[in-house]
Amino acid sequence: SVNASAQHRNAILVSHRQKGNPLLKHIRNVRWAFADVVCDYLLGQGSCALYLSLRYHLLHPDYLYYRIRELQKNFKLRVVLCHIDVEDVIKPLLEVTRTTLLHDCTLLCGWSLEECGRYLETIKVYENKPADSIREQADTDYLSRLTQVLTTVRRVNKTDVVTLGSTFGSLSGIMHASMEDLARCPGIGERKVKRLYDTFHEPFRRVA
Amino acid sequence: MLPFQEQIISDLLEDSNGGVVVLSSGLPIHTLVASVLLLHHPSQGSLLILSASDSQKSSISRPNPSSSHNPIIPTDIPGDLPSHHRTALYSSGAVFFVTPRILIADLLTARVPPSSVCGLLILNAHRLTDTSTEAFIARILRSLSRTAYVRAFTDRPHAMIAGFAKAERIMKCLYVRRLHLWPRFHVLVSGDLEQAPPEVVDVRVPMTLAMRGIQQAVLETMDACLKELRKTNKVDVEDLTVENGLFKSFDEVVRRQLDPIWHTLGKKTKQLVSDLRTLRKLLDYLVRYDAVTYLKYLDTLRVSEGVRSVWIFAESSYKIFELAKKRVYQAVQAAGVRVIANRKSNKRRRVNGDNLKEDTGSDVNNGTIDANAGVVLEEVLEEAPKCKVLRVKNHKNITSPKEGSVSADNRGDNSDIILVVCKDERSCLQLEECIMKSPHQVMRQEWEKYLLGKAELLGLRKSNKKRAHEPKGFGILDGAVAIGSSDSSDPRGISKQENAALLAAASEISCLGSDAKSIPPIQFYALEKDERVLDIWRPSVIIVYHPDVTFVREIEVYKAENPSMKLKVYFLFYENSAELQKFEASIRRENTAFESLIRQKSLMMIPVDQDGRCIGPTTLSEPNSVVPQNSLTRKAGGRKAIEKEMQVIVDMREFMSSLPNVLHQKGMKIVPVVLEVGDYVLSPFICVERKSIVDLFQSFASGRLYHQVETMIRYYRIPVLLIEFSQDKSFSFQSSSDLGDDISATSIISKLSLLVLHFPRLRLVWSRSMHATAEIFASLKANQDEPDEHKAVRVGVPSEDGIVEDDVRAENYNTSAIELLRRLPGVTDSNYRPLMDGCQSLAELALLPVEKLAELMGGQKPAKMLREFLDAKCPTMP
Repeated sequence: SVNASAQHRNAILVSHRQKGNPLLKHIRNVRWAFADVVCDYLLGQGSCALYLSLRYHLLHPDYLYYRIRELQKNFKLRVVLCHIDVEDVIKPLLEVTRTTLLHDCTLLCGWSLEECGRYLETIKVYENKPADSIREQADTDYLSRLTQVLTTVRRVNKTDVVTLGSTFGSLSGIMHASMEDLARCPGIGERKVKRLYDTFHEPFRRVA
Repeated sequence: MLPFQEQIISDLLEDSNGGVVVLSSGLPIHTLVASVLLLHHPSQGSLLILSASDSQKSSISRPNPSSSHNPIIPTDIPGDLPSHHRTALYSSGAVFFVTPRILIADLLTARVPPSSVCGLLILNAHRLTDTSTEAFIARILRSLSRTAYVRAFTDRPHAMIAGFAKAERIMKCLYVRRLHLWPRFHVLVSGDLEQAPPEVVDVRVPMTLAMRGIQQAVLETMDACLKELRKTNKVDVEDLTVENGLFKSFDEVVRRQLDPIWHTLGKKTKQLVSDLRTLRKLLDYLVRYDAVTYLKYLDTLRVSEGVRSVWIFAESSYKIFELAKKRVYQAVQAAGVRVIANRKSNKRRRVNGDNLKEDTGSDVNNGTIDANAGVVLEEVLEEAPKCKVLRVKNHKNITSPKEGSVSADNRGDNSDIILVVCKDERSCLQLEECIMKSPHQVMRQEWEKYLLGKAELLGLRKSNKKRAHEPKGFGILDGAVAIGSSDSSDPRGISKQENAALLAAASEISCLGSDAKSIPPIQFYALEKDERVLDIWRPSVIIVYHPDVTFVREIEVYKAENPSMKLKVYFLFYENSAELQKFEASIRRENTAFESLIRQKSLMMIPVDQDGRCIGPTTLSEPNSVVPQNSLTRKAGGRKAIEKEMQVIVDMREFMSSLPNVLHQKGMKIVPVVLEVGDYVLSPFICVERKSIVDLFQSFASGRLYHQVETMIRYYRIPVLLIEFSQDKSFSFQSSSDLGDDISATSIISKLSLLVLHFPRLRLVWSRSMHATAEIFASLKANQDEPDEHKAVRVGVPSEDGIVEDDVRAENYNTSAIELLRRLPGVTDSNYRPLMDGCQSLAELALLPVEKLAELMGGQKPAKMLREFLDAKCPTMP
């Protein structure tokens, strides 16, 4: 049974209630097993998911609330995985949104069983993954950093960044360029010139 | 004012509710607006002009020389004025320019006294939609005063037919029922303009062989890209023609079709759309830029577009590069035999080796023949054919009319001024130089600059030992092979003396040039400046270097206003060029737009109330929301609950979007403030960060979302991420076929999963549309307290400067500068405020020494990072 529990730790534990849910077919990147769990899918130490089909919700509007109440406060992350399987979504989705929000659940929406399955897989696999891939990236090459910086000015594109960089030599050079010098750069029209110049020379705070 | 203009005004004034005026582009909107202003009297209340561009503002404010009236000159209402001052302005009865964002905030916070505003003039009406801020303003204004009128103007007829029944919807959202169409082909207009037409000379200049070749190649590549785009089956094929591709509006057409599914598109399709834009620019620049600059631009493109773009690898695109190069120089073997492209690679390697040798100190060979490489450079420096013609024309005009002018013309009136009209400032500067000096000198200067750039890069590359180089096969010579031939400079070495010598030579040249000739009475004007140049200079000869329909109309009006004046107009067209094609197509396009508008006008249904006022837009969704419906049937047999006014605090920046407008339509009170954390505050607990789908993807990529959620969680009990889809786009992230078999780190599912794992307290709200969002907001607020404006404003603002001004608004900040500042390396959320206090602007920041930066940023390390980034040498073009 030591083996079994180790296996369980790496697998999604699925409630017997979910037996027959075609969603299970789409959990392929992670192992899963039936178990006695209060949630529909136990995704890790502190995270679980309830599955809700919007069509089912239309027939049983109170179902979600009872299921959430059952969970009690045992999980840190409580996902309600909502399968959007009706055309007219606005009303039922509003009800689901309200229920999840007021009862401390995180709502995720999938438009197909594949997508729903993928959410379950990903949450399981990413259980201990750091957030690096969605945090600000600091160490990229100079040109892309410069691009990131200069493209904050509206309409300035990558080509313009290269033009500006090679014409003025450095970022501080660009910042001190005169309007006329900026206008001489190919591809940089009157409006862009003005926008760039204003960004560099107008004070941060415009005080009267 | 011409008779037709008077007719436009009297038609417009006929309906006291106002109307929408659509003119052919180039017909003078500003004089119309100015004469509407003349009819304004302060006792009626103040008149507000919305959405005028800077150039429109200045031409409206400029007194009209032909009018005897004292003009009314409107002033700006600035955002940084204390609120009671603005209130005083609104009640003064004068005429003002005001931005929609300021006006809507003032209307919402009751800073505009009711019935103090007699009407709105809205410019650029083609930009309106039923959810835009101007529509919001019109609605509130109408609720304040029944008599306020709205008069809207536009000179972009083709933009008025984009989308379904656009004109009708714009009219409804402004509560007006009159549409006034004034095409150039209107009887009155053409009658007035053709009474004394200017003398027109159409000069067709043949393009050079190389230019023709490039144009051909660009068009072919464009066609290839369009074919690829058609293959994706995602766009309506009918609109995808090369002719449409010549216009900027083509992007809009494609975007409008692709936007609903934009986030589901593959990389390639997106790339194709941006490639088409690039190609259009290439076509445009071909006739605008000189040969050297054009080549330089291509180089830049290769660096920035490089690997990803599709067009660079298209069959005919190599011709573009090849020919562009040939217009500037040719690589010739020492014996005089031209070097063929595929043999060049060997040569280059040899030359590189040669360079290394040189670098170690061997003498710099600046002769015409490099013995080792066997390759020399022959300058071609092709001059733009139009430029030649222009010089000839000028010469004639300068010499000939002078004799005549003594006897006949009124000389005091500047009437012998020649006006040369180009598209952009850059061409103006260059043409001016071409005429002052010789075009060859100008080309040479550009060429020298180009070589220097290459040389510099070469030095850089040696030190870096980095990046192998361009895609193989075709290509521009890289710096290594560039050898000055007849030129005294050798670009390969970057010894300081050489550099200095070159610069000295260049400056000598320019000194000589400007001394030699007296300044001819030629004025240059860039179309993009959009000034009323004709009334200022009153030229007698106009040379239109880059033809443009709008400017043609302006000339016509100018001539019609001065019928006694002699005016000669030269149009310089390249024969059989895309330029010509574009000119003709733009006239066709405008005419079809008007025809369609005329048809639409005849079928339009504008509902009016008993006073003959337009009832306004019919709201899409029923005002009574879902939640009350449910509860009402159970409680008290459907009796309506006493409605309290719901209040939502909205960040000023959110007024760019239409959600505040829609929330207001739903009957919520909007409180506009500047929020540090979140976009909307619904209750003391609920704070919402709103993301449209495009925003969601972008802010995941930039890491901004992570940060926003982090701070929201810190300050609010119920932090909400609202993912808002758009009504007319599909309600899903991707089709299941795009999902792939494996978990991929870049997919939106993975990113969302990671986000919820790291922030289990974050609540997600998925909304089908803006209207659905409004319902969700109402429902979430149902049992909550109303949010506190003063608390919300202070959230997340560091306590040192916690004293919040009562009247902070986005207009008080140089937002793009702050955004840029915050993206600089070393700058964090905690140190950007002190930085802003420590220096006035970015330009000033760039001068601060590292010590001062360290002091402001609270540490050596970030200061050093920032300083180094500011001073880092940008790599020049390969």
